[in-house]
Amino acid sequence: MGRIIKLGITLGIFCVLSAGLLAWVFLMTTPVIEANAKASFEGSLREVLPGAKTFKDVSVKGAKSQIYEGYADGKPVGLAVKVAPRGYAGEIEMLVGVDPELRVKGMKILSQRETPGLGTNMLKPKFIAQFIGKGVKDVLEPKKDIDALTGATISTRGVCEGVKAVLKDAEQYGKGKP
Amino acid sequence: MNLWKNFSQGIIRENPVLRLMIGLCPVLAVSNNATNALGMSIAVAFVLICSNCVVALIRKVTPGEIRIPIFIIIISTFVTMCDYVMHAYAPELYQALGVFVPLIVVNCIILGRAEAFAYKNPILNAFLDGAGMSLGFLLALVSIGVVREVLGAGSVFGVPLFEERIAATIMILPPGAFITIGCIMALLNRMEKKVL
Repeated sequence: MGRIIKLGITLGIFCVLSAGLLAWVFLMTTPVIEANAKASFEGSLREVLPGAKTFKDVSVKGAKSQIYEGYADGKPVGLAVKVAPRGYAGEIEMLVGVDPELRVKGMKILSQRETPGLGTNMLKPKFIAQFIGKGVKDVLEPKKDIDALTGATISTRGVCEGVKAVLKDAEQYGKGKP
Repeated sequence: MNLWKNFSQGIIRENPVLRLMIGLCPVLAVSNNATNALGMSIAVAFVLICSNCVVALIRKVTPGEIRIPIFIIIISTFVTMCDYVMHAYAPELYQALGVFVPLIVVNCIILGRAEAFAYKNPILNAFLDGAGMSLGFLLALVSIGVVREVLGAGSVFGVPLFEERIAATIMILPPGAFITIGCIMALLNRMEKKVL
């Protein structure tokens, strides 16, 4: 019996020491992690909506996509919408910038888990560039007005669906405003 | 002389990946390019050296019956620390390695060295053993990473060497890992036969 108590106490001491050390490291790194995430997201917003200086979160609660309105000198210059369509392996998180005429201004893939060497080619500027200037009236279908990635039609379709959803959201948002 | 042996045995003779063949899961998964391979090796080296040192330091006060849970606490503490620090200061690498950073906890190289070596040896020997094993792991992982990246993506450490179109994509997909690791093992065995 005494032995068990002694073992328990030894184990307990190790756990307490370990927890204390981890708490300290956690407190030291959390501000840096949060600042990084914020800076990198703001950078992405600026990248997809060049010209906008400040952004305001205008997302509708419970909606699938997050909408950010960009302003330059107090005037709205377009929207940046974050959507996560289904790809071949999980969701593709992407951010799309839309100008007031409802045309795609910029696009960035934030995270994806597609097949390396096939679906991951969606990160290439050449693929992204096809979407720039597309609007609500475009079909946005692989093999029609979008060149599909070799061996990754499903990934391509995912990105197309994402852009379509963004344009739809942007249109609705525009209608909702007086 | 003994100290040198402690350090050098992990590099080739008892190389954890190519000889002992342990910890293969992260090796296969993150060796698709040289940068990830290097990042993963550094994370494993940090955890392995630290845990080896601490295990050797406390081996006299560790009761034998509960040594494994204590090792696991020590290892997971260092892994979690490494995870936080990487997330804060190397976010891109952190994203690329994904779940394989926390999974260092279950990497058998680390628990294996704690149990087989650090628990029975003084701190200096344990440190050298950890350093040697880490170096062996790094050499194996980076060479697999370089081969796969060159053949599969036409670049090395992200620097393009030739047109990607002619690269064999299979080499950066899972089968490429098995092919490369098999070829490197075979090469190492042949080299050793010639030397001896």
